[in-house]
Amino acid sequence: MNIQDNYQKNRKNIFFSENKDIETHREKLINIFENDRFDKKNNESLKNINLKNFIDFNYKYLIPEETSVINNTHENSYSIVSVNGQCSTFKDDKIEITKILDEDYNDFSKNNTIEKNDHFVNLNSLFLNSGFKIVIKRNNKIKIKISNIVTDDDLTIFQKNNIICQEGSSLSLIEEYENKNNSTSNILNVIKLEKHSQLNHFLIQDNSSNHNLIITSHSSCKKDSTYTQKVYNFSEGYVRNFHYSELIETNSEADLQGIFFLKDNNTSNNKTFVKHLAEDCKSNQVYKGILNDRAKATYFSNTHVDQVAQKTEGYQLSKGILLSDSASYFSKPELKIYADDVKCSHGSTIGPIDENAIFYLRSRGMSKIAATKILISSFINEELSSIDNEQMSEIIQKKLVRYLSKVK
Amino acid sequence: MFLEIKDLSVKIENKNILNGLNLNINKGEVHAIMGPNGCGKSTLANVLAGKEDYEILNGKINFKDNDLFDLNIEERAQEGMFLAFQYPVEIPGVNITPFLHSAINSKRKRMNEEEIDNLSFAKLLKSKASDLGINIDMLKRSVNTGFSGGEKKRYEILQMSILNPDLAILDETDSGLDIDALKIVTDGVNKLKTKDNSFLIITHYQKLLDYIKPDYVHVMVNGSIVKSGGSEIADEIEKDGFQKFQ
Ligand SMILES: Nc1ncnc2c1ncn2[C@@H]1O[C@H](COP(=O)(O)OP(=O)(O)O)[C@@H](O)[C@H]1O
Ligand SMILES: [Mg+2]
Repeated sequence: MNIQDNYQKNRKNIFFSENKDIETHREKLINIFENDRFDKKNNESLKNINLKNFIDFNYKYLIPEETSVINNTHENSYSIVSVNGQCSTFKDDKIEITKILDEDYNDFSKNNTIEKNDHFVNLNSLFLNSGFKIVIKRNNKIKIKISNIVTDDDLTIFQKNNIICQEGSSLSLIEEYENKNNSTSNILNVIKLEKHSQLNHFLIQDNSSNHNLIITSHSSCKKDSTYTQKVYNFSEGYVRNFHYSELIETNSEADLQGIFFLKDNNTSNNKTFVKHLAEDCKSNQVYKGILNDRAKATYFSNTHVDQVAQKTEGYQLSKGILLSDSASYFSKPELKIYADDVKCSHGSTIGPIDENAIFYLRSRGMSKIAATKILISSFINEELSSIDNEQMSEIIQKKLVRYLSKVK
Repeated sequence: MFLEIKDLSVKIENKNILNGLNLNINKGEVHAIMGPNGCGKSTLANVLAGKEDYEILNGKINFKDNDLFDLNIEERAQEGMFLAFQYPVEIPGVNITPFLHSAINSKRKRMNEEEIDNLSFAKLLKSKASDLGINIDMLKRSVNTGFSGGEKKRYEILQMSILNPDLAILDETDSGLDIDALKIVTDGVNKLKTKDNSFLIITHYQKLLDYIKPDYVHVMVNGSIVKSGGSEIADEIEKDGFQKFQ
């Protein structure tokens, strides 16, 4: 079915389809789909993708029966279960959780950092059927854990979330995506950090091989705020991680990091993009991948420094270990600098595991497989040892051990 | 016979490096191999340890009643062979404690000995390190990463003294060491020496042999042993160099 018909048929199920402005925006998006030649060469959202599967899909959505927010006042922490992209409303003196509104959609549709030809983001806007908004109120310091659950097979979740950290607030957010059904989640997180706020965002992705996860985020940082994002992708199914940050006021920071662990025929596409729009800001983009069997990955990193963004520090690094001759990892760093007083760098190293190191360890009596495993762990040692959340660190260690147990 | 190398010829990238090399080492003996740069000393050490880059053209090696070529790299180590590398490799992110603990336990497992627990291993490591003048901070760092030449060599000897091998091959462990470090390292070797283990000491200079007394000295030129004898050979080389053997 073409996009137009698919949309018309499911309209009643799609958020904001009665809103005139939003309708107009969506008509434009449909036009893009109908006129685009799907030029794979110049469109990063199309690398390694069987586009047909994603465009020619059967729309199916189920409204969840039960969602929950549990508040542990003692620890200033909240546990949220989001089901099929929806979440209960909740309000106390520290946070507020509501449904997303037309105005959130419109606010996002004006954003021009995310490419107009990112087809997955456009599908998300067109078929939007879920999402929520979380506001962290001024000067509060809290922890939130969100379990993102999909209930049934064949669901197509199109979800837009808004996360707003008000002035002086500090949020530690852990999001888990661990689904075992044959569904697709297309999620867009719009994150706003007000002055002096801080967000530590962990995303743990561990879906089964029949579950697709397309996750895009757009964060913007005002004065003295810091956004840190750490993605751990252990999924056996397809995952796309595209994360954009805008540093819109001085002395703000964006740190976008990811590690992916791939095997079998799995694919993962990754992109980070930081736009420096103010002076004295810092950014860091570091992705590391371990690829076994016939796994494939791409990573595009991008630092854009506007002419007003003097004293920018921007760093990009991409590293990969290929455990098999049939695995492949394509990485492309990019720098666009329009200011003169900046410190920017990028590096990329991808290759098989160091044979000399393997020989050294084996020559002490370690088996080849044990030596391989210790070297894989050492490859991400820096990232793992810097996780300052004990619970997170345990979860990641367990998943790493599981991945390593399949390495032969 | 403990180690018996018979008519060994080895090539790498179409270049013959070892040419019909013979060498026998008995239990409890210390042998030294001396030879000019590029004559194939490290190649011999690497072939013994099992490095796979070389093509074995001919020859047999017996080690403790095993055909050495039937054993893979780790099995050789577990059987009691140890190579102190000329150029130890840096391994960022790998700490010596878990790595060597796992190594010693796989050796013990093969020998049907009981494994060492974490605590006893940590104690053993600390005490051996302090014997060799290695401070505790260095044990917390990644293996060889950012170490000076001398530190790397001490670290090799530390690993050797913990694994307590039957046959230790020291490939130019003396190069890059000042006199004090050389003294510490050779003390470590002498402490380890018993009537049941053997040493093959590869060196370029005679200096090391002032501290470790070899039973036999061999001169290696162009990939084979051209002369064998007692420590008087080392003195000859000290005086006249390698020319007369070439
Ligand atoms: N990986 C290699 N590829 C090609 N030639 C090599 C390699 N390793 C060693 N050689 C060559 O083999 C010869 C012997 O080297 P080596 O055993 O390191 O000598 P030594 O330790 O006696 O100085 C040298 O000529 C060296 O250039
Ligand atoms: Mg050498």
